[in-house]
Amino acid sequence: MKYEYWFAQIPHLSDRKKYLLREYMGTAESIFYIEETKLKKIKFLNEKDANTIIRAKKAVDLGTLLSNLKKKSIRFIPWFSEEFPKKLHEIPDPPYAIYVKGNMPEETNGAAAIVGARQCTAYGEKYALEYGEKLAQCGISIISGLARGIDGLGHRGALMGNGDTYAVLGCGADICYPREHIGLYTDILERGGGIISEFSPGTPPVPHNFPKRNRIISGLSDMVLIMEAREKSGSLITADMALEQGRDVYALPGPVDSVLSRGCNQLIRQGAGILLTPEILLEELGFSSFITGAKIDKNKKVLETKENMVYSRLCPYPKNLSQLAGETSLTAGELLEQLVSLELKGYIKEISKNYYVTL
Amino acid sequence: MSFSTVLSASIQGLEVGFVNVEADVSNGLPAFHMVGYLSSEVKEAAERVRTAIRNSGLDYPAKKTVINLSPATVRKRGAAFDLPIAVSILVSLGQITEKSVRKTLVIGELGLDGCIQKVPGILPIVLEARDAGIPVCIVPKANAPEGALVKGIDVIGVRNLAEAFGFLSGTIRLEPELYPEDKMHVYTNGLPDYSDIQGQKTVKRAVEVAVAGGHNLLLVGPPGSGKSMAAKRIPGIFPVMTLEESMEVTKIYSIMGQVDKEAPLVRQRPFRSVHHTSTKAALIGGGLIPAPGEISLAHGGVLFLDELPEFQRAVLEVLREPLEEHQIRITRTHGSYVFPANFILVAAMNPCACGCYPDLERCTCTPGQIQNYLGKISQPFLDRMDICIEAPKVNYEELSGGNEEESSSKIRERVCRARNIQNARYAGTGIVTNAMLGVKELDKYCTLGKRESKLMEQAFTSLRLTARTYHKILKVSRTIADLDGAETIQEKHIKEAIGYRAMDKKYWGR
Repeated sequence: MKYEYWFAQIPHLSDRKKYLLREYMGTAESIFYIEETKLKKIKFLNEKDANTIIRAKKAVDLGTLLSNLKKKSIRFIPWFSEEFPKKLHEIPDPPYAIYVKGNMPEETNGAAAIVGARQCTAYGEKYALEYGEKLAQCGISIISGLARGIDGLGHRGALMGNGDTYAVLGCGADICYPREHIGLYTDILERGGGIISEFSPGTPPVPHNFPKRNRIISGLSDMVLIMEAREKSGSLITADMALEQGRDVYALPGPVDSVLSRGCNQLIRQGAGILLTPEILLEELGFSSFITGAKIDKNKKVLETKENMVYSRLCPYPKNLSQLAGETSLTAGELLEQLVSLELKGYIKEISKNYYVTL
Repeated sequence: MSFSTVLSASIQGLEVGFVNVEADVSNGLPAFHMVGYLSSEVKEAAERVRTAIRNSGLDYPAKKTVINLSPATVRKRGAAFDLPIAVSILVSLGQITEKSVRKTLVIGELGLDGCIQKVPGILPIVLEARDAGIPVCIVPKANAPEGALVKGIDVIGVRNLAEAFGFLSGTIRLEPELYPEDKMHVYTNGLPDYSDIQGQKTVKRAVEVAVAGGHNLLLVGPPGSGKSMAAKRIPGIFPVMTLEESMEVTKIYSIMGQVDKEAPLVRQRPFRSVHHTSTKAALIGGGLIPAPGEISLAHGGVLFLDELPEFQRAVLEVLREPLEEHQIRITRTHGSYVFPANFILVAAMNPCACGCYPDLERCTCTPGQIQNYLGKISQPFLDRMDICIEAPKVNYEELSGGNEEESSSKIRERVCRARNIQNARYAGTGIVTNAMLGVKELDKYCTLGKRESKLMEQAFTSLRLTARTYHKILKVSRTIADLDGAETIQEKHIKEAIGYRAMDKKYWGR
């Protein structure tokens, strides 16, 4: 196994060439012990590739290679392994190997990816949590990228729904990126989920890794739910890859003038599924028994006239005090008073100084 | 008479110390010695004094001169001893009678031609002299209006050494400087007015509450939203300074040599705008013998820190103590100095580095960058800002609206009413404004009814308040109640105060 691991983690050698070479040679061990002159004669390897392999051979300390993995409790799963997810065999450019900390998603369960913008609005935040939770409650695994914003909230929602959730990283599985999600990282592991990466342990989170890992997020999933995305964003790359891989793409519609919903709305225009409620989505997936009573309509709760006047002016997108003052004709003092009582009653939230959103 | 002594004074921090300038002129090898723990600018007086005496047409024979400035243990600094040294020599030489300088305080810097230059610190020195029962002070003519602010002492302004000599020897009659009655009125015209600002009513309201209760104010808003404009107008809505307040502030300006000759008494509340490159010493005061810093120059008025996150963190942290104590104590090995520093701190900042958050369409910052930007200000410092308000970007209708906006004097009336209520309530306690209430006084003056306490309890848990923010909210709601003319704090006052609380950075920008 150590030869296989050594071969899998050679940098600067494409996955395709690794496949070809291993098919050609049979095992990684024979690649390790091949003579240099023979290696250089192999047709599909150029001079540079051969040198890369030779250099990797010289640099490696085979003795400690596997114990490092063990110490970090990371499993090495190459493509020919039994454990390698079947879903990844289906995709056009599967990774040569994956590294897993914790568990892998159960093949029999459905899996959904929840992805979207890092810098999301309260609107995206709310639905990422809600879809994560409701889908996880039905036993669907939630796959995402542990990033800030929607990704993290998707994981969080799944944990709230007591479901399994799996994070696919753009760095080694032993590195938590972004740092501030360390709590989420450990929670995912503690709750029986897993951290998955195609990059060998210790790989730093460099930018060009992220688009690559997106194909694994969609690859491991049966469907991809996009909560909020700008017009040109990583989330749309994930959507493209999902389509290429034959996964279903769903997008959460949003106001046409919200930059963060433009990507989603565009997807819907191109024919992506519309996320109306988690219940409708679950019904489509055959979880009809799940549908419960209608959600409590917050507007129906008793609000005083002035409170209602202010609340009706708010939306999930931030509005500031002066905008509201212009719209309601209340004095500054009165307006603040209403906003604070709405905040204390839990209808709205102050997301930045004097910017309010509905919950 | 070969020995003589003349009274002068020096400033140590804010304190005035009398200094006896002694001169002894005797036969011997011609020489000029100066002793008495002098800094180099005092030692250099030797050349100035000798030349000035000669250039004033007075006789200075080649004799041995010894000058002593006592008490010898106090460090003497500055050029203000030139004139007393010259006078003392002239007395020793017998050109002025000893009687004429008795009970007279002399101060001033000499030029080589004998002219007398202005010196800092005249007002506190004259005040101290009057309190010590000294009837006459001879000061530079340029400083005379400032000295004349003190009643009950004759302040004689002199232009040059010859004039001082003439006055002391009785050949010239000089009248004491008159109390500048006509210059005591308040200069409110020319002050910027709130009617210049279109819209922004939320900001104006927050400013009104801040001034009414003496609360610190943080303005958050995108560039060009008029934060500085709003801040500059704050002194205009303060209650008019009383004479005592004016004297206190003028004393500080006098020590820094910043008194205006035309209008000696500071009648307008100070507005000190500090640049973000300022050092700790510039802000709180410093030096070997500490001089007051910006926070003391802002005493009784406003200290404005624009671009708050750009300030060095250590510089902001030194403000924490004066913000609580309303004074600053600077300690050196030879003693400690207390400067008053009772000011309203007004700070302005952008919500993120590009200034556009939370407008995600325009904001180019990542959540990490926003946190990083806010991280430059410590939470304890943020907690000391009682009122935090967003200054929104102005839209075109507001800008071009041409609406009749409320003038500063209208706002000032309301502020004064609230201040009067506070003065009556805190009479005799040493407390002036609601912001100065301590935790113990809060129980006494900010009692809450049943519903109000329940509201506070709810707010405390659901908004994750700290003890400090809890107290700040109480104080601000007391002020809002005072503005409302309400005896007790009501729910609506508390709610408004909660709306002004400084954001907890942790939940800012998520």
